[in-house]
Amino acid sequence: MKPAPFEFAAPETVEEALAMLQQYGEDARPLAGGQSLVPMLALRLARPTALIDLNRIPELAGIAVEEGRLRIGAMTRQAALLASEEIARHAPLMIQALQLVGHPPTRARGTIGGSLSHADPAAELPAALLALDAEIVVRGPAGSRTLPAGEFFHGPFETAVEPGEILTEVQVPLPAEGGSAFLELSPREGDFAVVSLAVRLVAEGGECSAARIVAGAVAPAPLRCRAVEQVLEGRPLDATTIAEAAAAFPAEAVEHDSAFASRAYRARIAPVLLRRALTAASQATGGAA
Amino acid sequence: MIGAATPRVEDARFLRGEGRYVADLKLPGMLEACVLRSPYGHARLAGVDASAALALPGVHAVITAADLPEGIPPIPCRVPTHGEMSGFLQPVIGREVARYYGEPFAVVVADSRTLAEDAAELVEMDWDPLPALATAEEAEAPGAPRIHEAGNVASRWGVDLGDVEAAKRNAAAVVQETYRVQRHTAMPLETRGLLAQFHPARNLLEVFGPTKVPHTNRAILAQMLQLAEGDIRFIEPDVGGSFGARGEFYPEDFLIPWIARRLNRPIRWIEDRLEHFAAINHSREMRFELTACADAEGRLTALDVKLLADMGAYIRTHGDIVPSHAVAQFPGPYKLRNYRCQAVAALSNKTPTGTLRAPGMFEANFARERAVDRLADKLGLDRLEFRRRNLVTATEMPWHVGTESARRPVIFDSGDFPAILDRACERFAWAGGAAPADKPLRRGRGVAVAVEPSAFGPFESARVEIEPSGRVEVISGCSAQGQGHETVLAQVAAEVLQVPMEQIRVRHGDTGLIRYGGGTYASRTAVMSGHAVYAAAETVRAKAISAAARKLEAAEESLTLEGGRVHLKDAPDVGLGLGEIARMLAPGNPELVPPPDSANAIDQDGLTATQYIRGYPSGTSVFAAHFAEVLVDEETGQVAVERYLVAADIGRAINPLLVEGQLVGGVAQGLGGTLLEELVYDSEAQLLTGTFADYMLPSVAEVPRIETLVIEEARSTTNPLGVKGVGEVGTSGVAAAVANAVADALGKDIALCALPLTPERVLAALAGATP
Repeated sequence: MKPAPFEFAAPETVEEALAMLQQYGEDARPLAGGQSLVPMLALRLARPTALIDLNRIPELAGIAVEEGRLRIGAMTRQAALLASEEIARHAPLMIQALQLVGHPPTRARGTIGGSLSHADPAAELPAALLALDAEIVVRGPAGSRTLPAGEFFHGPFETAVEPGEILTEVQVPLPAEGGSAFLELSPREGDFAVVSLAVRLVAEGGECSAARIVAGAVAPAPLRCRAVEQVLEGRPLDATTIAEAAAAFPAEAVEHDSAFASRAYRARIAPVLLRRALTAASQATGGAA
Repeated sequence: MIGAATPRVEDARFLRGEGRYVADLKLPGMLEACVLRSPYGHARLAGVDASAALALPGVHAVITAADLPEGIPPIPCRVPTHGEMSGFLQPVIGREVARYYGEPFAVVVADSRTLAEDAAELVEMDWDPLPALATAEEAEAPGAPRIHEAGNVASRWGVDLGDVEAAKRNAAAVVQETYRVQRHTAMPLETRGLLAQFHPARNLLEVFGPTKVPHTNRAILAQMLQLAEGDIRFIEPDVGGSFGARGEFYPEDFLIPWIARRLNRPIRWIEDRLEHFAAINHSREMRFELTACADAEGRLTALDVKLLADMGAYIRTHGDIVPSHAVAQFPGPYKLRNYRCQAVAALSNKTPTGTLRAPGMFEANFARERAVDRLADKLGLDRLEFRRRNLVTATEMPWHVGTESARRPVIFDSGDFPAILDRACERFAWAGGAAPADKPLRRGRGVAVAVEPSAFGPFESARVEIEPSGRVEVISGCSAQGQGHETVLAQVAAEVLQVPMEQIRVRHGDTGLIRYGGGTYASRTAVMSGHAVYAAAETVRAKAISAAARKLEAAEESLTLEGGRVHLKDAPDVGLGLGEIARMLAPGNPELVPPPDSANAIDQDGLTATQYIRGYPSGTSVFAAHFAEVLVDEETGQVAVERYLVAADIGRAINPLLVEGQLVGGVAQGLGGTLLEELVYDSEAQLLTGTFADYMLPSVAEVPRIETLVIEEARSTTNPLGVKGVGEVGTSGVAAAVANAVADALGKDIALCALPLTPERVLAALAGATP
C-alpha cells in the first residue's frame, strides 16, 4: 500500500496552481484534504503523475454571505463548515448532512471542494448541495465557469471538472428557504450511506410551494426525485401527502448493490427514509398541517 | 498482589508511543520484501517474467518457486487432526496452481518497500483462470472439480452419545433449522511482520516478529531449513494484537528467513492491510443443520447436528481444530446425554482458515442458543427458566461431556452454573422485561449461556532469577500481543516473593531466553504461565529460606519471607534480603559450601529456578451468561445494541482490571462478528470485502457500555492459583445473545439463523415471522 511515484508541487495562488496543472499535464491531480485521494494513492487506484497541493492557497478557503449568496471556498474544511454560524443560519441542511460525514478527524482535513470533486455517489455533501440549488464555480486556463449542481455530477467519481480545471467555490443562492432534513442509513456511524435523503420543503399558507428531494447512494450520481417533488407541490404537508410522496420514490432508479445492502433492500428502505425525512422537514417549516 | 487491580506495567511505553514493533526495527544493510499473490481464486500459472522488475535500480531479487530447492516440505499441522492432512497442506510458495486469492507466488526484494511495490507491478505473471469453488457446499457436492488431488474434503468425523433417535421420538418440542456463521477474522491493529538476519560465520539465524508460539514455530522452521533449533533465535518485539490469527506459521515465516539467508542481507517484510485481508487465517465459516429436542418437562433431550466447515484452500497449522472444538463443545453447559454430530471439514477456493478468539465456540453457541430459545417458546416456557432447568449443577462437577477435541476430553472442572445465571439475571434485571419502545422501534432482550474451555496444556515454562541487586527477572515461555502478561506474571511473582512490582521485569517470546515454551493461545497465559511462574517463584522462595537458614543457623520453619527479605519470625530484625541471598548463592562464591552429594542438583547455585509445569488436557472451564438488550427499527431492520452484560465465574482474578478489559474487549469483538464483519467472496472466489471500507469493524458508536459481572467462586482445580482463562469468554456468547434479543424484538418464532445480522437479514426474518 505504497503510492506509485509522483511529482509534488505546492502552489500558493490559484493562478499558480492552474499553471502547474497545465505544466504537468492531464494526469496531474489537485490535492485537497486528501481523505479520499490519499487512500486511493496508497491502493494505487489513483496514479497521478503529479499532485498539486491546494492546501497552501489562502484564497480558496472561507465562508461569506455576499450579494444574496452564501459563498464557500473550495478548501474550506468540513469541520469549519460544521462550526459556521452563517451556514447554520442560511443552510441548515448542510449542517444536517455534515453531521453524518465521516468522523471528527476526517472532517478536520476533508474539504467541501474535495468531497464534491471526488463525487462519491454515497457522499452526503453532493446530495445536500443539490437540494440547496447550489452552484459550483470551476476555474481553468480560460477563466471561470459556474454550473448548477444538477449539471455538475456526471456519475460515480465523475464531474464536470475538466483536466486543467480546479473547483474553486460553492455558492448557495439565498434565501435557501424552508424546512429541511437529511437522513441516512449507514452500516456504522460516519460511514458512507446505504441510502441517504436530502429534503428541503418550502411551505406557504399550509401548502408546499416548493420541494427539493435528493437521494444519495442509490444511483450513479445524487438523484433528484422530481416525481416526489410534484406530488408535494401545491399540497398540504399532511400525513396523506407525505405517504403519497414517499410512495412516489423512483425505486426503479436504485442501482447500487453491495454485500451489506442489496439493491432490493435499498429500494425498500428509501421510501421509509423519505417519509421520515419529509415528516421532519415539514415540521421544520412550521407549516405542517 | 494477586487480586490487585494494578494498572498495566506495559501501558507507559504503549501510551507514550515507545512500544517497539517489528516495523520500528531496522538493521544495517536491511532490504524490504513485497509478496506477490494470486489475483485469482483458482488459476494456473503459465509463466513468470521478472526481467523488467529486476532491471529496476534498487531491486535485488524476485524469488519464485523455481528458486527454492526441491524437497521443502509443506507447512505442517501443529495439532492433532481428524484425518490425514498431508494432501491438503500449504506449500511455502505457490508453484503451478493458485488455489485462493492471496496465495503467495513471488517475493520481490528491494531497497525499500515502496520500490518493491513498484517492481512488483513489473513482474509479469501469466495466469490461466480455472473454475473456482467459492463455497464448501459446492466443493463437497458430488462431481465437483478437485481443488487438490486428495479431493475437497479434508476430514469427516462424528460423535454419537446416548440415543438421539429415541429422544426424537419422545420429544414434546422439536426445532429444526440451518444456522450459518459467516467468514470473518482477526483484524489486529498491527499486521504481521518479520525481520530476519542470518550471520553466516556463526550459522545463526535471528528472526524478529514471531509471536504466539515462537518455540513451536522455530522447531518447524529448523526442520524446513535443516538447521538445529539452536541455530535459530526467534525474538518477539512488542506486538499489536493477534486474536489467534497472528503468530501461526505462515508461508512468509519460511520465505523471509530463507531469503535473508540466501541473499545474506537482513530482510524485513511488513504485511500491509490488503495482504492481511487476503493472507491471514480466516475463521468462523460454518453451517449447522440442527435438530434440537425437548420433552414435556422442559428437559433438553437431544441435539443432532450436521456441521459443514469451510476450511479454505489448504489445511494450515490448526488442522481441523476449529470445527473440532465446535463439535466437542456443542452441547454447551447443559446436562445433555443424547448428542450426535457428523462433521465435514471441506475445502474451497478461499483463504485458508485457523482460530479466532473463541474458535468454534462463538459459532456453536450461536446455533445452539438460538435453537434453545425456540424450544422454550414451543414449550411455552420462559427462555431463562428453560436454560436453568437444563444447566449442569454444582454437585455434578466435574462434568464429563463425553466428547473430545484434539485428543483432549471435554470436562468442566468446577462451577455452580445455575447460581451464576441467577446472579446475572438479577444484575440485568431480567425479570422486569424490556421496556416497550415506540413504533417503529421495537425493544428486545436475549440471553445466552456458554462454557468457554481454556488453558489447554500440555506444558508451560518459567524461570525466575534474583540478581544480587535484589532485582527479579521473570522469563516466561509465553508470548504477548497486548494482553498485559508482563503485569499479570509480575503480580504472581510479587505475591510469592513479596517484592514490589517495580522490582520485577518479565521477559517473554524469546527462544534465546528459555529452552522450551508453550506460547499464548486458548486463554492460557494466566493459568499456564501463571502456574509456571508461581512454581518457579515458590522454588526460589524455598531456596532462599533454605540458604538463609544455613547462614543464620536457624531452622527453616522459624523463617519467613516478607517484603523481599527472609527473617526470623520471632525476630524480624534478624534476616537477609533476597539480593543478599542471591549474592551468597552466586556460583563460585567461596561462602557457598554445597554438600558434596548435591553438586549436580537442579539450580543448585544461584537464587534462580526454572520450572516446566504440565497442564490438564481438559484445561479450565468458565461458565458465562450473556445478556443483551437491543432496539430494532422494524421498517429498516437496523439494530442498535443498547445494553450488554457478561457475567462469568472465572475462579479467581489475578488482576480485576485486566479481567474486565478482556471481557469488554471480547464482547466488542463479538459484536463485530455478530453485526458487521464479513469476508464476502463472489462466485469466482474473489474477495469483495478486502479493505476497511467494506469490511466493517465496530467503532465506539456501535459498542454500548458493556457491563461485567466478574464472579470469583469456582476456583479451578487444575492449577495452584485456582484461576481460569478469561480471554475468550467475552466473545463466545455474543452472537447468541444478540441474535436472541433481536428475535425477541421481532416477535415469536422468528428464525433469524444467519450472521451477520445486517438490517436486510433482520427485515427478512421479520417478514418470515408468524404473528
